[in-house]
Amino acid sequence: MAGTKTALYKRRIRDFILQYKESKLGIVGLFILVFFIFVATFANNLSDHSIKPTGGILKDRFKPPSSKYILGTDDVGRDIATLIMYGGRISLLIGFLAAIISGGIGTIVGLTAGYFGGWKEDLLMRITDIVLVIPGLPLMLVLASLLGSNFWNIIFVISVIGWTGTARVVRAQVLSLKERAFIESSKAIGASDLRIIGYHLLPNVFPLIVAQMILGVGGAILSEAALSFLGLGDPSSVSWGMILHWAFAVGSLSSNYWWFIIPPGICITLVSLGFTFVGFALDQIVNPRIRRR
Amino acid sequence: MSGRDYFIKRTVLVVTTIFVVIVINFFLFRIMPANPVDILISPTQGQEKMGIEIKEALMKDLGLDRPLYIQFIIYLKDVLQLNLGYSFRAPRPVIQIIAERLVNTLVLMFTGNVISILMAVSLGVIAAWKRGSKTDLGSLISALTLTSMPMFWVGGIMLLIFSVRLDLFPMFGVTKIGYSHPNFLSYLGDYLHHLFLPMITMALVSFGGLFLIMRNSLMDVFSEDYILTAKAIGLSERTIIFKNALQNAMLPLVTIIAIRIGFMFSGSLLTETVFSWPGLGYTIYQRDYPILQGTFLIITILVVISSFVAELIYGYIDPRIRTGASSG
Repeated sequence: MAGTKTALYKRRIRDFILQYKESKLGIVGLFILVFFIFVATFANNLSDHSIKPTGGILKDRFKPPSSKYILGTDDVGRDIATLIMYGGRISLLIGFLAAIISGGIGTIVGLTAGYFGGWKEDLLMRITDIVLVIPGLPLMLVLASLLGSNFWNIIFVISVIGWTGTARVVRAQVLSLKERAFIESSKAIGASDLRIIGYHLLPNVFPLIVAQMILGVGGAILSEAALSFLGLGDPSSVSWGMILHWAFAVGSLSSNYWWFIIPPGICITLVSLGFTFVGFALDQIVNPRIRRR
Repeated sequence: MSGRDYFIKRTVLVVTTIFVVIVINFFLFRIMPANPVDILISPTQGQEKMGIEIKEALMKDLGLDRPLYIQFIIYLKDVLQLNLGYSFRAPRPVIQIIAERLVNTLVLMFTGNVISILMAVSLGVIAAWKRGSKTDLGSLISALTLTSMPMFWVGGIMLLIFSVRLDLFPMFGVTKIGYSHPNFLSYLGDYLHHLFLPMITMALVSFGGLFLIMRNSLMDVFSEDYILTAKAIGLSERTIIFKNALQNAMLPLVTIIAIRIGFMFSGSLLTETVFSWPGLGYTIYQRDYPILQGTFLIITILVVISSFVAELIYGYIDPRIRTGASSG
């Protein structure tokens, strides 16, 4: 029994890899993400500069790109390339954590609404409608400015508005799974709700949830950047958005310090594009609604 | 669901959403660890300087010394009369400041999004008609890239290229400062000159999302039976696209606008901040809490009502829903 089961999983994984390989965008996205995650992880090995100002500030500030500073220096003489490598850690971490938390909320809401139906479904879906229609950025600004800007508050603020998509997708999938024979039969033999949700529904919707979460990471990174830019980021953790905030705040635009502005934005764009490509490719494979078309 | 039930359901959603935002505004302001009075007195002034009497007087002034439920009733009454309190920065009513700036936000949002919609519809038609072609792939990838860019950064790049490098457009504001225009035309020219870059930025950041939804819904329209029939009886591509398909594409367009209106506001707020365009986004940057709260409420009201109106229009132009309404 166990042997056939592992064989089944192996075949499924092989099928999945074969399908994934067909998506060119998916491959490109994967390469982008692997690159950025690698650089962020090994930032301290890859750069010999420090992200703390090291004296000689007045001499070394606002230096254009050179062989010593590949991407130039910022307003306190720090190497921008190094800042960006370390910034990737915070941006990616916030992106992943916010996507996991909002994916978790969405999954719980979607499963509960879809499986139990009735007033629970009505209530949860009305709440989803309301969160969906409230303009996201102003809500995040109000929350962030009162909660205060620290690492976890920013993740919380992003997650509060990010879960609605997952909730809807999961609910729709659960509604169609509920009608299938194997759910009916486990109900008939007296399986508990928790068991049906945990053993039958969750494994079936899990791939969809993962695809939704990956699509969500890019959005979360963009939200963090917007909050930081508007001065509501965590000043003690250097993210890409924070670097851009400093760049704009010290007047890099009018002084034409383009090296302070262009690179962090390109990193944000590439990474969120990477997540979008990978998420799209996964969604093509696991989302029955898209597959049918 | 009949048309009338649908109408009632949407009305309930509009009312509850606005109520929820009012409740959020009311409670967040009061239950947060940072006392609003402390927020009001800027940290640079030093709180030890502010005597306990001043603090108490301020609490009384803001009505914070009364029981919570009475505060809420007063708050609700005030909001219904559009009395949103006073700015922390200047002794002016919040609603007055918002009203002044809202015009600039709406101008930027409207012009930018009209350009964006025109681009999204025309490219969407081509992309969906020639699925998998170079135009399709090209516009798909540019749309995805545009949606992945931080919106404020797009504005920054525009400024870097067109204002700093090429010196073609001004860097901030709505008109030249300290210059009195001899006539209206000169004023209008100056205004448009200032509007151009923020407007293009707004169009670019809106385009990606609009195009993606447009392409998707047009692909659905193009695969419907009557289009296949039209092809089969030998109608030209032009006739099919312009006479049949585009008419049907107007339906998704209304829905798209209804879905995206909140996003359009967010885009406008960020764009304004970059270009120092004195709209609602500009007020947010000034960290004036009552203004921020008021802006949140007003934008929510505008968003829910305009998406409600868009749905009504949808119901009116979609024959399927219309018959549903008359029979229901």
